[in-house]
Amino acid sequence: MRRNELVVSPALRVSTLAILAAVTTVFTIFIRIPSPARGYFNLGDVAVAFTAFTFGPVSALIAGGVGTALADLVGSYVQWAPISLVVHGLEGLVIGLIARIRPDSAATCILAGAVGIIVMTVGYFAGGLLLTGMGPSLAEAPGNLVQAAAGVIIGLPLSIAVAKAYPPVRRYSW
Amino acid sequence: MAVDFYHPGTSRLHSFDARAKLILLVPAVACFFLPVPFWTQLPALAGFGLLIIFSLGVSELWKPLRAIGPVLILICVLTPPFTRNGVPLLSISGFPLVTSTGLQATLSTVTRFAGITLAFVAVFRSMEPEHLALALQWFGAPYTMALTFMLALRYIPSLGATWRNVQDAHKLRVAPRAPLGREPPGRPRSARALPARSPTRWRDSLPVLTSVLIQAVKGIPALAVALECRGFGRRAPRTSLLALKTGKGFAGDLIVCLIAAILLVAPPFLLRL
Repeated sequence: MRRNELVVSPALRVSTLAILAAVTTVFTIFIRIPSPARGYFNLGDVAVAFTAFTFGPVSALIAGGVGTALADLVGSYVQWAPISLVVHGLEGLVIGLIARIRPDSAATCILAGAVGIIVMTVGYFAGGLLLTGMGPSLAEAPGNLVQAAAGVIIGLPLSIAVAKAYPPVRRYSW
Repeated sequence: MAVDFYHPGTSRLHSFDARAKLILLVPAVACFFLPVPFWTQLPALAGFGLLIIFSLGVSELWKPLRAIGPVLILICVLTPPFTRNGVPLLSISGFPLVTSTGLQATLSTVTRFAGITLAFVAVFRSMEPEHLALALQWFGAPYTMALTFMLALRYIPSLGATWRNVQDAHKLRVAPRAPLGREPPGRPRSARALPARSPTRWRDSLPVLTSVLIQAVKGIPALAVALECRGFGRRAPRTSLLALKTGKGFAGDLIVCLIAAILLVAPPFLLRL
């Protein structure tokens, strides 16, 4: 089977998205640091950034959004699920699109990460504005910024490490 | 590890159609954004609370309230400073800390956040994941999206177990402080067995995360094969890794077989003659 046939296989796409979404959920659920306003800090952004750098923008959009929303549904933060679905999905999409321009360029990856951090912080600020008002949203913005930045700082080396340790991972990006 | 957002039960809320619950969620959330006094929204808030108590139990009401408790406190503390018009209710040295408008805004935000939380809890805790996937399809979501959602939900426990196993395996790789047989005399055994300095948490997390991700990625082709074996994605004829001969090669083999068959069957009849 030729490589392009492998990539467009619907079964392979569904499998990739499902497992990456599950990875994102596990990263979000298993490591939680309680936060007063947002609920908790977690490694979900690490999974979103890793997916974006490794598998591309579409995978990051779907797996990042669904994974974090699923984590909110499973936890006691159900009301944040729609916001997580949109914000983390956009975060992954933006990082993946920018990183894809020049994947081997460090500057491009850093730019992608920076834009992703901004998208995540602004997105949760806007969502928090609707749910909790200006005060708590502003108070939580620095924490979200740190969480998103940590996600990119850990996610990019993780992507490089996984690609080096397991080269076939590159076949699953589109 | 049990991973599910469904709380089993036999109440009327549980038997309510999933599509109807999702449709009702929209006005349930929208009603808390209406520009009306907060006390007019209290009956809706109380209604969701009672619905959860009678359908899911008191513990299912307590869990989300406990989770959002700190957020509600934060709202009460941080909302008044941003809304200082109106009649001052609490001032310090002439500086209004809490005004009538600020108090109304605080109570309105608290009611809104609590109400939306309880609405979501009532809908999703009484809905099985499979019903949610079917409802999303009914609303127009593609089957692949629903399948992705269900597969992700099913994979979470196994990935969680993989995480724990990899963590334990990496912990066993932490070297002891001194090699065995060279321990300083007089030190207790437990101290000798511990590392001199605990490794930096994040630096030790990277190998764990890498291992978990590789294990997860390795599962992708296996899952894809399982889906294809079940006929998933068969808009075109099913593909096959191997292929038999076609064209001249197949015709040549057929001719050889025909000749061989004739040579095997014909001689007995010819000999009888």
